[in-house]
Amino acid sequence: MDIVSIRNLTKKYPGFTLDAVSFSLKAGRITGFIGRNGAGKTTTIKSMLNLIHPDCGEIDYFGLPLAGNEAHIKKRIGYSTGTISWYPRKRIRDIKDVMKRFYDTWDDAKYESYLRMFALDENKTPRELSDGMKVKCNLLFALSHNAEALILDEPTSGLDPFSRDELLELFGQIKQAGVAIFFSTHIISDIEKCADDIVYISKGRIVAAISREEFAQRYQGQDETLEEAFLRLERRTLNA
Amino acid sequence: MRNLLFKEMKLSASVLSYIFIAFGLMFFLPGYPILCGVFFSCLGIFQSFQNAREANDLVFSALLPVSKQDVAKGKVYFSCTIELSALLLMAIVMIVRMTALADSPVYLQNALMNANPFALGMAFLLFGLFNLIFIAGFFKTSYKFAKPFVTFIIVAFAIIGIAEAAHYIPGFEALNAFGFANFPLQLGLLAAGLVCYIVLTWLALRNAAASFEKTDL
Repeated sequence: MDIVSIRNLTKKYPGFTLDAVSFSLKAGRITGFIGRNGAGKTTTIKSMLNLIHPDCGEIDYFGLPLAGNEAHIKKRIGYSTGTISWYPRKRIRDIKDVMKRFYDTWDDAKYESYLRMFALDENKTPRELSDGMKVKCNLLFALSHNAEALILDEPTSGLDPFSRDELLELFGQIKQAGVAIFFSTHIISDIEKCADDIVYISKGRIVAAISREEFAQRYQGQDETLEEAFLRLERRTLNA
Repeated sequence: MRNLLFKEMKLSASVLSYIFIAFGLMFFLPGYPILCGVFFSCLGIFQSFQNAREANDLVFSALLPVSKQDVAKGKVYFSCTIELSALLLMAIVMIVRMTALADSPVYLQNALMNANPFALGMAFLLFGLFNLIFIAGFFKTSYKFAKPFVTFIIVAFAIIGIAEAAHYIPGFEALNAFGFANFPLQLGLLAAGLVCYIVLTWLALRNAAASFEKTDL
């Protein structure tokens, strides 16, 4: 079943166009969203969260259009964005106390377990955290309300290799519960480790939105790693 | 909306917003433009907007399971809570001055505006203008607040100046009533101020919500 369906998402900026982006996310699958800096990953994700307004296109979650069902849909999804600090001078505990009031599905036990797993001190404020710990703090909030879809913007950037490995393993466990995970990254080894599907964006256009196996068949040369395949594809796009 | 109001108070608000409610007590001051108390309360609310912008509050709120329009409305409701608290304080001081302190020589010799229902009506009007000029103006960009705030300062001090001096204009002496003198007129002016506040705040709510919905964050 498609948890998220995006069709012809278009947003024009001076000098950049997100051009008719279409893909879908399925329950119980991890989708890696890959593209170089400025390719349109964050614009796509922001559109998916109604933070920016696409010029045209349709975004559906759970069979419902985002427009008109925003509050209901957002209760069922979790979102985390890299190293942004929300309320840098407030304690993590205070931010949590506010957040949990918005979600009927907030799970304190899960929150506590992720708090321990990420080794976060809830009496600290985001400004006291390193970049990697900020990423973990944002993930903590996204994971604590039993979301059916997780949209994660660069969740592994800034993390040390051990934490990254732990997180990717956690993604594997979460998807077993039928959660759709969509994460953007420019670290190709993350995709290699855990993605079932790949959405590859370049210069605002979707180059491929297919399973990892199909991607390997279609784009990966013999004896070529996924990273080498991406680099080759990206060079070809640049030269085109 | 209750949750959004809670979020405003617990995470976004500057403590100055609460402390500056106390400027409502300026209604006690003789020989001083008492409507400046409204301006200082608005300055307290302004601090919360500044706080919120620094803390990425608008993006955080827009990601919560509420509609984007409700995020802007939450800010207006928070401001109204502070404003109504300041107005309540002003109303209490006004009643004390109209009753227990009605014959106090220090107030009888007051060259400026008395704390009477007309003054309270003007306070309602000023808060309403703050909501429309500053809050709705801020949400046009959801980022820039200098221009709407400076515009509000200019408008507010022009109105404060006119209101404080109005009773010197022949025929307008009744505006500066002591105690319960000219009470029906005074109550009428208070009601007019209240109506202005409701209309201006409603416009602010509508415009802020519509602008924020259209804003790319």
